[in-house]
Order: sequence, then C-alpha cells, then structure tokens
Amino acid sequence: MSSAQERLAAARDILAAWVNDFQEPEPERLDAGIAPADLMAAVRALQTAHWGYLAAITGLDLGAEAGQLEVLYHFCSGAAVMTLRVPIPRQESSVPSICEIIPSASVFERELAEMLGVTVIGTPNTDRLFLADDWPLDSYPLRKDAFVGSAEKEQGA
Amino acid sequence: MSTDGNLSGKRFIVPIGPQHPALKEPGHFSFTVDGEIVTDASVRLGYAHRGIEKATESRNWTQSLYLLERICGICSHVHALAYCLGVEKLAGVEVPPRAQAIRVLVAELERIHSHFLWLGVAAHEAGFDTLFMYTWRDRETVMDILEALTGNRVNYSANVLGGVKFDVTPEIGDTIRRGLEFLEGRTHHYLEVVTTDQVFLQRTRGVGVMSLEQAETLGVVGPTARASGMIRDIRVEAPYAAYADYPVQPVLAEAGDLEARFIVRIKELFESYRIIRQILDTLPVGELQTRMPRRVKAGETVSRVEAPRGELFYFIKSNGTDNPERVKVRTPTLCNMASVLVTAVGHQLADMPMILAGIDPCFSCNDRTVIVADADGAAYTWEQIRHHGIAFYQGK
Repeated sequence: MSSAQERLAAARDILAAWVNDFQEPEPERLDAGIAPADLMAAVRALQTAHWGYLAAITGLDLGAEAGQLEVLYHFCSGAAVMTLRVPIPRQESSVPSICEIIPSASVFERELAEMLGVTVIGTPNTDRLFLADDWPLDSYPLRKDAFVGSAEKEQGA
Repeated sequence: MSTDGNLSGKRFIVPIGPQHPALKEPGHFSFTVDGEIVTDASVRLGYAHRGIEKATESRNWTQSLYLLERICGICSHVHALAYCLGVEKLAGVEVPPRAQAIRVLVAELERIHSHFLWLGVAAHEAGFDTLFMYTWRDRETVMDILEALTGNRVNYSANVLGGVKFDVTPEIGDTIRRGLEFLEGRTHHYLEVVTTDQVFLQRTRGVGVMSLEQAETLGVVGPTARASGMIRDIRVEAPYAAYADYPVQPVLAEAGDLEARFIVRIKELFESYRIIRQILDTLPVGELQTRMPRRVKAGETVSRVEAPRGELFYFIKSNGTDNPERVKVRTPTLCNMASVLVTAVGHQLADMPMILAGIDPCFSCNDRTVIVADADGAAYTWEQIRHHGIAFYQGK
C-alpha cells in the first residue's frame, strides 16, 4: 500500500485536466476546486483509475452574504482524503448526479437535496430520505437561515 | 412461479415498518415480491431524526460533544472520539499518550459490547433465541466493566476535548482482565455454534451473498465489507488515537454471505481482547488531559474512526468562534443500507430480517437531522409537540 502522499500525488495527476486550484489544508488531505460542469468527467476519471471510494458528500452553506453553497465530494484511499469542492450559487443551485458512475451515491444525494435545497440533476431517486412527508417543500434545514435562534427559544434564553 | 401474466403487470408490494413485529428499529422497507421471492426493495429512513447536525451550530464546542455522543446509544464513544480528534486537530492541541490509549481501550470495549449485542439480535432474527439469551447474558460482563470504568453502561462519556475524564487504575485493570477471560471462552463457544449448528447454518450459509466486486461498487464499510474480503478498516488504513502503537490485524472472510459476517464479527472480538490486554500491559504514564482553548481556530478537518459497524466519517468546519460552523456526520449504516436493497433481490421474504440484521443496522445513527416545524418554518418546543399530539388524537 502506497503512502498517503503518493496517493494524493496520483490524484493530482488524474484530476489535472479539470482542476487548477489544489490546496493541501492538512498533511493527508487534498482539496480540489472544480466547476459543476467538470464534476462528472473528474469522478469518472477517479473511478477508472480506481482511486479510492466515495466516503461522503457534504453540503456547506456559505451564507446569504456570500450567496454560495459548496458541495464537497470526499474520496478516501487509505489514509488519504481527497475532496472535490464544487461551488454553486445559492439561488437555483444544482449539481449533476454522479449515480451513473457511483450508484451508492444515491443516498448521499437525497440527503444533500432535502437538507440544503440543491437540485441533483438526473439522480435516480428523488424521494425524501430523512425528512418527514409533511415537511414544507421550500424549507431546507441545513441552510444557515433556517431556524435561526430556535435553540435559544427552546431553552427559554 | 411468475404472477406477471395473472396480475397483468401489476406488482405486489409488501411494506415492512416503520413499526413491525419483525423489525426492532424504525425503518420502512417496501419489498416487491413475486410469490415469496423478493424482486425489488426500497428504503425510507428518518423516523428517529433529532436535528443533531443542525443543533451543533447553535451550541458551543463542548456542548456539541455531549450532543454528538447521544447520536447513538450503542456506539456513543466513537462519535465523541471522532468529534474530539477532529476538533483537537483544528485547535492544534496535542493529547497526552495515556489519554489516547484509554480512548482506544474504551473503543474496543465498546466494540465487544456492540458485537455481542448484534450477535444476540441476529440470532433472534434467525429464530435462535437460546443463542440470543446467552449472548446478552454474557454482554452484561462487558457492560459491567464499562460501568465500573466510566460510571455508565451506554453513554460512557469518556472523552473531553483534550483528553479523557478518568484513569485506568491497576484494580480496574484486573477487573477488565477477569471479564475478558470469561468472554474469550464464551466467544470460542459462539464461533463453534455459528459455524456448526446445522439449523442455524441453513439461515446463514449462502444467504445474502455479496461478492468483493459488489462490495466495492456498493461502497460498503466495516465488518460487512470485510466479510466480502475487502480490507476496509480505518484502524488499519489510517490509524488514529493510539492505534499506531497498538496495531490491529484486520479480520477477513471470503464468502460474503451471512455466515461470513458472523465469523468476521466474532473473530474481531479476539482481536479486541488482544488489544485491550496489550493496552493494560503497556499503558503509557502521564497526564489525562491537556488544556483546550474555548475558541477553535478557523479551518476544516476530516476525522475518520472505525465504529463497530464500519467507517464513521466526520467533517468539521470552524469559523473561529465558540460554536462549530458545520458538523457533518456520515455513519456506517448509511453506506451499508444500499447493500441490503441489492442483496435482498432473489431471496425469500422470510430472509429479509436476517439480511437486514447482517449489516448490523443502527437507525439512531442513520437518522439525525430533523427539527419539527409547522408550515411557516417556526420550530415547535417539546411541550408544544406534546400538546399538539394530544389535541390531534382527541380530534380523531
């Protein structure tokens, strides 16, 4: 098994065609900023090269001021963690589905869609995974402006 | 027998859950059947959601620790551990080696309790309640050890940011050794039972088979992956806490069926006993805690630990304040759930509880993120929910 550094170097080579913004925030991590349009090609290249596995998809809300969301695709290989960072606008946000390449991404995409209001174009199952059936359609719990201060209200502060 | 022609293409769907005699936890499965044979399956989760990821954002770093620890009653320690390791990394805090070793000790005791619990549940699903009763009786031994060590049977609360809360004294070390000796004997017996009992083998051998190739495609983790011959164990691949000093030998099986999943989990118990004894013999001397700043430097980190069910993945983002900006939790059951839906196809409906139990699903881990709100998005308090519930049922 090669070291985490060698794996991350290999990931750089695989992704070089689509990514010009590489960051190494921590010793065994690599962040690669990528445009939504290039996501599919990059994921396919990782898959073809058998580079690690998709560990999780994280949705980040950077806030109303920034007007941006960020979708993070975390791939792990041994101790190495490579994250594809896809910035998208907060309004009418969407990313392409990667289920065609990685079928197990379906549950992650369903969670992303319902929690952050990101439309995942072409995902095979758009049913709710965690939220209740009568949850309001336009309410996305993990957006920063959802339920501001509700914890204080609950605690009676 | 095919019923397609008779029913003019209509499908027969058997719903199971969220409340069902054959399912002890709240999940909803729809099995499409042709006679007794399952031809398709889908899952709906979320019945045990509590809004924990969101709730961390309005609580400080220490409060969030206690909240995250309550994601799961079975593997509370690994959640706290993943969170602590991540936050300590962000804060640039070095945890004393004795504390890291004690963290691993508790993690392995937790694995023993979790695997025994699973063995009982899985035996019960197979209709082998004698095995269920014996394993749960034996599980009390490790529960007693955890209680003697930490004061609690389930939410041990061993971690604090920057270390652990309690020490392992020589006396408690002896108690642990005595307990392990008893459990080791029992574990040999259970390994023999699950590999030789003919009736039991009919429920497990060749059932729910997942090939190595399938396991890779489905992205399964933990013992479910290892039973299909895939080395996926964070303790081995990316050692955390003190695992670099106490290396783990991964336990693998090739068959990929339910029997293999029994064998892998039971054999892992021996590995846990070995590691615990090694830690007790060579526990580093030193402090239990180090000072932790109240605010954590801005930044992001990924923290991965091996829970009893597989890789637990935390993504933590700090904005430099008292509260986390975002805590993302990806639990092993979410990864493994998809494998149930695939391996279910082609099996008898009666095998479904066993196949589901085969991944050792944990619904409270899976379900985290709901705050009950009305249509305007305003959150209910618990008291309001109670009154709403009473009014709703009185109106019926």
